[in-house]
Amino acid sequence: MSSWGSGLIRGLRVTWQNLARRSVTAQYPDAPPELPPRSRGVIALFEENCTVCMLCARECPCWCIYIDSHKEAVPPVEEGARERSTNVLDRFAIDYSLCMYCGICIEACPFDALEWSPEFEYAELDIRDLTHEKDRLREWMWTVPAPPGLDPAAAEPKEIATAQKAAEKAAAASQGQAAEETRDDGGGS
Amino acid sequence: MAEERVVGVGAGAAGFGGYDRGGGEPGGLATQDMVLNIGPQHPATHGVLRLRITLDGERIVGCEPIVGYMHRGVEKLFEVRDYRQIIVLANRHDWLSAFSSELGVVMAVERMLGMEVPERAVWARTLLAEMNRALNHLMFLGSYPIELGAITPIFYAFRERETLQQVMEEISGGRMHYMFNRVGGLKEDLPAGWLDRASAAVAAVRRRVPQIEDLIFGNEIFLARTRGVGTISPELISAYGVSGPIARASGVDFDLRRDEPYLAYPELAEEGVLRVTTGEDGDCHSRFGMLLEQVSVSLDLADACIARLRSLPQGPINQRLPKILKAPEGATYCWTENPLGINGYYLVSRGEKTPWRLKLRSASFNNIAVLPEVLRGCVVADMIAILGSMFFVVGDIDK
Repeated sequence: MSSWGSGLIRGLRVTWQNLARRSVTAQYPDAPPELPPRSRGVIALFEENCTVCMLCARECPCWCIYIDSHKEAVPPVEEGARERSTNVLDRFAIDYSLCMYCGICIEACPFDALEWSPEFEYAELDIRDLTHEKDRLREWMWTVPAPPGLDPAAAEPKEIATAQKAAEKAAAASQGQAAEETRDDGGGS
Repeated sequence: MAEERVVGVGAGAAGFGGYDRGGGEPGGLATQDMVLNIGPQHPATHGVLRLRITLDGERIVGCEPIVGYMHRGVEKLFEVRDYRQIIVLANRHDWLSAFSSELGVVMAVERMLGMEVPERAVWARTLLAEMNRALNHLMFLGSYPIELGAITPIFYAFRERETLQQVMEEISGGRMHYMFNRVGGLKEDLPAGWLDRASAAVAAVRRRVPQIEDLIFGNEIFLARTRGVGTISPELISAYGVSGPIARASGVDFDLRRDEPYLAYPELAEEGVLRVTTGEDGDCHSRFGMLLEQVSVSLDLADACIARLRSLPQGPINQRLPKILKAPEGATYCWTENPLGINGYYLVSRGEKTPWRLKLRSASFNNIAVLPEVLRGCVVADMIAILGSMFFVVGDIDK
C-alpha cells in the first residue's frame, strides 16, 4: 500500500505533463470545425429534380416536410399527340424545429432531389424561422460536398456491375460474330 | 455529560480523518424525519430523475425514485413506425449508446426475416458498437468525478470522446444519433482511408486513457468518497435484474457478448480478445474501475475488428431490401449487451410493415430500481456518490 497522498501526486503529475502541451480546444467561432462530407447538418433541395412524388413527406417519421403542388398542362411535343400534365412544385418546406435529422427523406428520394450538407449555423431567435422554404433550401445545395470515396473492399456500385455485364455481352457477341465471319471466310475460299 | 457530536455536512462529510459519516450512530437524538426531493432538476441526476428521500438527520431512511418526467411513449410510437423509422427512435432512448440500441432492433428484424448479414457488415457493426461502448464509458468516467467535486477529469474524457466521435461522425454523419444501422447491414460503406483513421483514433485513446486513471482513480479524496460506499451484493443484483458494468463490479459474471454471443463476438471470444472482467467489492470505486477496464477491452476489440475488416475480401455491406419491408408473423426477443447493461427488444409482428408490439427492456430502468435498497442507511453526501456510480441515462429509464 502506497503512502497517503501518492494518488494526489500522481494526478498532479498528469496535470503538469499536460500543462506544457498545446491546447486541444478549438475556439469555435474563430476556428470553424472541419466536418466530414457525410456530416448531417442541413438538408438541401435541388428543386429541378423534384417530381412531387411525396415519398419524402410520407416517409418522414416526424412529418416535418410540407409540399404543395398543382398540375399544369404541357402542350404536346409532336403534332396530333395528347396533351400531357406535369406536377409543378409550389411549396417545399422543411421545419427544422421538428426534424430529427435521420436522413430518411434523402434515402427515400428516388430522384436525388435532397442532399445532406454539413452546414449547421442556422439558429434562429424565432422558432418560425426554422421552417426553411424552397429558396432557402436551394441555397444549401451549393454547400453540399462531394461524397467520400469508398473503402477498397466495398462492393462495386451496381452501375459498374451492369455496365460490365453489358460490355461482356457485347464483347461475347462481337467475338461470336467474328468467329462466324472467319468460318464464313473459310467456307468461301 | 453531554456527548460531543461531530456532524458532517456537504461534500466534506465523507468520513475523513476518523470522523464518522453523518453524525454518529442513528437514533442517538430524537429527530424528526424530513422529506427531501432530489431533482427533478438536480444537476446530479443527469436529467430529470426525481428521488424522494426521507431523512433522519443526515441519514437516509427511505428513498423512492419517481420516474417518468421524460416519458416519450417510445414503445407506442414503435407501433406506428416502419422498421427504418424505428431506428430513429431506438437510438434516442439511450443517447449515449445509440449505436448499440439500433443494433437490437435490426437484429430482431433480421432474425424474424431469417436474413443473413454480409460478413463485412458484421465486423463493421462490432467495431462501431465497441467504439460506442468506449464513448459511453468515457462520458461516465468524466461526469462521475464532477459529481464528487473533481472537475478536471471531464476535460480529459471529452478529449478522448472527441477523438472517437470524429471517426464515428465521418462514417455515419452523426455525432450521437448515428442512424447507421439498417436491416440487413449498414447504411453506407466505409469511406476510403477510414480504417486507418479509426485505428489511429483507437491508438491515441488507448495511449491517453491511463491519464484519467492516474488523475482520479488512486486519488485519496476519491477513494474516501467511493470505497466501501454503496455496496451492492450479488443477491441484490439478481433480485433487481441489474446488469452491465454495475453487475460485474459486484462479481456477477454475466456478459451477453460472451454468454449469448451475437455479431462477431464468438470469434473474438475465441481469440481471447474479449475479456469479461468482474470486480469483487461492488462499491462505487469498483464500479468506476469497471468502466476503466471495459474501455481498454473495447479498444482491444475495436483493434481486432479493424484488423479483420482489412483482411476481408471485397463484398457488400448491406442487403438489397424490398421497397416495403414486412417482418413475418411471429415473435422474437433480441437482447444485446449495451454499454449500460442488457438492452432487450421483444418484437411481435403480425406481418405488417410496423411491429404489432415492440417491448423495450432498457438497462437503466432496472439499474436504477435497486437505488432504494442501496441508499437506505447512507448519508446525503454519499447519495450523490452512489447515484452517480449507477451510470444511468434518464431517457433510458423513462423511455
